Amino acid sequence: MSAVCNRDVQAYANLYERYIDLVYSTALRVLSDRGLAEDAAQEVFVRLWRKPESFISERGRFVSWIVSVARNRAVDDLRSRSRRRKREVLTAGQPADTGVADIADENENPLRSVELNDTRAHILVAMKEIPVDQRQALEMAYFGGLTQQEIAAHLHVPLGTVKTRIRLGMKKLRSLLEDQR
Amino acid sequence: MDNPHISQELADEFAVGALEAGIRDLITLHAADCHECAVRVSEAQDLVAMLALGAPLRQPPQQLRRRVFAAAGIGRLGLLHAAARRIPAISGIAAALAVIVALTGMFMLRSDVSDLQADRDRLQSQVDEALRQEVEIAALHLRLDEGERKFFALQIAADGDRELLLAVLAPGTEVAEVFSVDRGVPNDSFGRLIWNESERKLFFIASGLETRPLEETYQIWVARDGRYFSLGTFNPRADGFVRFEATLEDGIDSYQSAIVTIERAGGELDRSGPSVFVTDLSGLR
Repeated sequence: MSAVCNRDVQAYANLYERYIDLVYSTALRVLSDRGLAEDAAQEVFVRLWRKPESFISERGRFVSWIVSVARNRAVDDLRSRSRRRKREVLTAGQPADTGVADIADENENPLRSVELNDTRAHILVAMKEIPVDQRQALEMAYFGGLTQQEIAAHLHVPLGTVKTRIRLGMKKLRSLLEDQR
Repeated sequence: MDNPHISQELADEFAVGALEAGIRDLITLHAADCHECAVRVSEAQDLVAMLALGAPLRQPPQQLRRRVFAAAGIGRLGLLHAAARRIPAISGIAAALAVIVALTGMFMLRSDVSDLQADRDRLQSQVDEALRQEVEIAALHLRLDEGERKFFALQIAADGDRELLLAVLAPGTEVAEVFSVDRGVPNDSFGRLIWNESERKLFFIASGLETRPLEETYQIWVARDGRYFSLGTFNPRADGFVRFEATLEDGIDSYQSAIVTIERAGGELDRSGPSVFVTDLSGLR
């Protein structure tokens, strides 16, 4: 990243090659539209080139940062489209995606980085251990861009139940990933 | 981490994106000034990013790369330099020839490229300045609306309660999370303690509480040096929501903690029943 700050095009190209699949996949998971996901991924990497100093290494890992940027950009897009749809009354009452996505197959489209592949292998094992309702709550919030209250309304459960599922899901994920270190 | 202001639960909810906008802004503002809480939030965000790694992977179309580089303003000049650096050193002469051939056409366009680069640099400076101003305005906007954010953060719990809203909006108001001690309280209950310094008022709000039998009641205490002082008793509404307020004329500084217990109906002079909620009051000072 320091090379990118020094306008090193090769370093930037390397980062692109290493993370584009992850960024694009994250955006696609949120937006469920290839064109929109491409736009979001493009914006993430253009921002990375124009303002590389927005990543502060003391605050966390680069992969976490770039995934967060991609997810937030995609969710912003999702929410603005959702508000536009409500105003246009095109799809009244269409429920958000409440299904739990299949956990990725570890043999599918390996990442172009050995380190990321290794991390991903741990994640895939850990995700299978998290109870479905907890994983659903986490994914509806993270990929669906829904608040706890919106999740509770969609699932017809109390707000406290959603909070508990998120809390327990994160606790489980934290513990599983620590066990695998 | 000693005495963080943002609980692990709240940090996790923030990281996963499940919080309302008002609370999200409050946490962002606080984490900007509090290193311990920033670390806690950052760790939660690190963990949550792993969800993305667990999602199915898809490759974008090849032309996205060209679009990205073009949009970033990295033209053919930059890409050719990058390509030239990749040529293996052992094919030295061939590499040099390849670079010369690649660059020959560009010498003819050098003056045009220089003009375009100067234009691009000027435009980039203007974009950077506009972005800097936008960030400053956004930060100012957040600071000016901090009171408004606090209002939104408690909007649901306030439930149209004007007095509570005014207390929340007042300068010097502090909010602490109340922790369930898991005795007689459903797992999905949560609470907040609000201290309004100017009014010397303490508000306890909670949701998801079970109504006690007729012979029992909830009682709230503040503790100092192992001694408990009752603030009063309360029972939740039918929907499990409770809003309790008390005035502490001598302030909150001398008390270390607050707890909620289950006592006999009418309350007790001395605390005797099981604890259901507890909170550390130092976060409110």
